[in-house]
Amino acid sequence: MNNHLKIKKFVSLSIIMMFWWGITSAQSDSLDFLRSTGKIYAVVTVIVVIFFGIVIFLFRLDNKLTKLENQIKNEQ
Amino acid sequence: MSIKGLWWKIGGALIFLVVLIGGMTIPTRSGVTATQPSNAKSGESIIISVVGYNTHFKSAQNHRAWLKLDLIHAIKSSQFIAKNENEATLTFSVPDQFPSDDQVQPLTLIIDNEMDGAFVQPNALFVTLNDSTRIGNGPWLSAALSNLNKSEGIKFPYRNILNETIRNTFFHVALWFAMFLLLIAGLYHAVMYLRTGLYDHDIQSASFNKIAILYGVLGLLTGSVWAKFTWNTFWTTDVKLNMTAIAMLIYLAYLVLRGSSSDHDRRAKLSASYSIFAFLALIPLVFVIPRLTDSLHPGNGGNPALGGEDLDHTLRMFFYPSIIALTMLGTWMATLLLRYERLKEKIFLKS
Repeated sequence: MNNHLKIKKFVSLSIIMMFWWGITSAQSDSLDFLRSTGKIYAVVTVIVVIFFGIVIFLFRLDNKLTKLENQIKNEQ
Repeated sequence: MSIKGLWWKIGGALIFLVVLIGGMTIPTRSGVTATQPSNAKSGESIIISVVGYNTHFKSAQNHRAWLKLDLIHAIKSSQFIAKNENEATLTFSVPDQFPSDDQVQPLTLIIDNEMDGAFVQPNALFVTLNDSTRIGNGPWLSAALSNLNKSEGIKFPYRNILNETIRNTFFHVALWFAMFLLLIAGLYHAVMYLRTGLYDHDIQSASFNKIAILYGVLGLLTGSVWAKFTWNTFWTTDVKLNMTAIAMLIYLAYLVLRGSSSDHDRRAKLSASYSIFAFLALIPLVFVIPRLTDSLHPGNGGNPALGGEDLDHTLRMFFYPSIIALTMLGTWMATLLLRYERLKEKIFLKS
């Protein structure tokens, strides 16, 4: 169980690092695409960030509710 | 489920959908993205190549262009050749006479046609004066800027550097406004808890504050993305950014505070008083201090407040609905949290 969590942590951390590396190192290439057509993709990125923020909130609420449901089930 | 309690949720979602569709599909007005060359000497004839954005250089017929020195001094271009819709070359003969003897004179380029309306590129050309340049009006007064066209239809303003990202007003800026409204709701319930001692007020206050913090974090992230494309960095030392980050840290401590104590009564009292403190700290941090010093944000440090070209009536058409929609959706999310907390409380009381 402990090992499993460690692997999970490592994977998620490395994904974040990869994103960060992608943004900082390949700036001229990847961001040039985002700058095309009058920087419209900057707006798209902003909308995507808001979307993911709300989705993450929903996931967390979902998890909390599942825990509560299990608690009720165990008590019955 | 009846429609009665549902209308504002559907309303919020629909208004946000309208903002999303309208905000992304309405075009921006025409503008100039680049001009070449940027320097000239007085008395010479120059050809400026212009790159436009959303322009109709080829299909429009009546092109006019000016180099403007100030309110009354301008010269008209002698020739306008369109390469394609977005590229054109303009010929100007820079006079050997200038109204003032400043060594370097910045000139603003104005282009006008019947399809795009008039649009400007500030400081498009810097003219260095020759030794032989005389002081006088010369041809400067004769080219009057008159009968400028206006582009038709609903279009968002074109701003240099901002370009299409002016649409972020509906998302990034509206997110902060909605956050503030949600924090007011949280503050109200915190005060009501301290007055009445009802536990329900405490969890209402916490739900609103939590969604407001989510909006605040998203506001910082979206602002960071926007800054990368306009200020060319994810984070600047701008006061508004740093002060808002401090305000968000104060609110993050609120979350820690709520998580730290298991005694309901104590937690409720502490977090209600703390959220009042956090709100009172937020106002000077976000609204007062940035106005006292230099800031890149509009409405701060001598910059004009949101208005004029930064927030004209076409932007307002979507900006205000976006605030309303995000507040409604935020309230919806807050009620979901609230219902969860109420359920948890019920189970806790039973056991």
